[in-house]
Amino acid sequence: MALLQERNEKAFGYLYDNYSGAVFGIINSIVTDKDIANDVLQNVFVNIWKKIESYDASKGRLFTWMLNIARNASIDEIRSKGFRQSQQNQSLNDNVDFPGASIGPVTEDVGLKKVLANLKSEWRVLVDMSYFQGFTHEEISKILNIPLGTVKTRIRSALSQLRTMIQP
Amino acid sequence: MNIEEYISSGIVESYVLGLASQEERSEFENMCNQYPIVLEARNAFEIALENQAMQNAITPSADVKSKIFNTISSSAKVVSIVEAPVKKINWFKYAAAASVILLAGSLYFNFSLTEKNKKLSGDYTNSLTELNTIKKDIQVLTNKSEIKMASLKGTDVSPQSYTTVYWDSTSHDVYLLINNLPKPPSEKQYQLWAFLDGKPIDIGFISNDYFIKQNSLLVKAKSVQKVQAFAISLEKIGREDVSVPAGEVYVYGGL
Repeated sequence: MALLQERNEKAFGYLYDNYSGAVFGIINSIVTDKDIANDVLQNVFVNIWKKIESYDASKGRLFTWMLNIARNASIDEIRSKGFRQSQQNQSLNDNVDFPGASIGPVTEDVGLKKVLANLKSEWRVLVDMSYFQGFTHEEISKILNIPLGTVKTRIRSALSQLRTMIQP
Repeated sequence: MNIEEYISSGIVESYVLGLASQEERSEFENMCNQYPIVLEARNAFEIALENQAMQNAITPSADVKSKIFNTISSSAKVVSIVEAPVKKINWFKYAAAASVILLAGSLYFNFSLTEKNKKLSGDYTNSLTELNTIKKDIQVLTNKSEIKMASLKGTDVSPQSYTTVYWDSTSHDVYLLINNLPKPPSEKQYQLWAFLDGKPIDIGFISNDYFIKQNSLLVKAKSVQKVQAFAISLEKIGREDVSVPAGEVYVYGGL
């Protein structure tokens, strides 16, 4: 039995060693706080382990499936109350320690976000809100005061652009 | 809307990135089943996205891995038995990883009862054998750079059918991946053909056992020195001259 367990975890270890970096990259593009991003990564892989039997290869690649778990977990995190509070405290502390320092994330855009920077600005905002912040089309329509149909078409156009941009 | 327009509408990206609605998802999955070109577009975008993510990987804290393993070892008491969806998987590297997890996961069960324990050790051996076969198959495809691939699409006889042939241009070995092929009736069996200058060359039968047990990922056929296309026909078992196809062709595709 010990052997079984070892074998099992060895396989999962392989998965982790190969993909944790790429998955962590995506988490980081949504959750900017490194410590929280590490916690999210931990939860994501525990979830991958638990849900692996629900992965359906006919619907996409394993990596895509893991990526979507990571994105959903990251968005849940930034929308959670705890995260918002910790971010507020962070800003407050920064202000106290470094008066005059600018507030807000100063991380450099990486990965998909960097690709996103090449999009037209009116498209970029929409993709950012929907992919990286997890807003529904309806919510975006309300927040930006753009008709729902326009939100949908613009996101679609932006995404089809995105494909040509990330293809080597 | 024609297929090209559908593909370039952004639906592929919406689906893969998890932004499509439930309705769009179902529609897209149907389109993938109907049109190989949609499936190809999805796969291409997935690969591009994955490469992109790999290039932008960020190393997480070193202690995350051990934390994950602590969590899963303490929670892994009961895991339901699952079968590895070997037949459906078309990307071998992940198939390896997923199979290992699925197969090993399937063996986690109630350890306390001797009877179950016996069954378990049987399962384990079977899975291990199955796993080793798959591993060998994967090595065949991943370790060599001279592998050429042919997608064999379904003919009018069976439009849903789809298989993939891998031909090693140095060793001339031929491997077949059966993505989708109907189970043959017991008096018939599939035969694989290589085509050179329009002439068929018999490169072996697919055992009907494959469709019952499905415990291997690839079927090895006879080697062929030169080839331009492949086909699979459904033939009566025990016919006299097996060097010429007599039955209906199910799939066909060029190299």
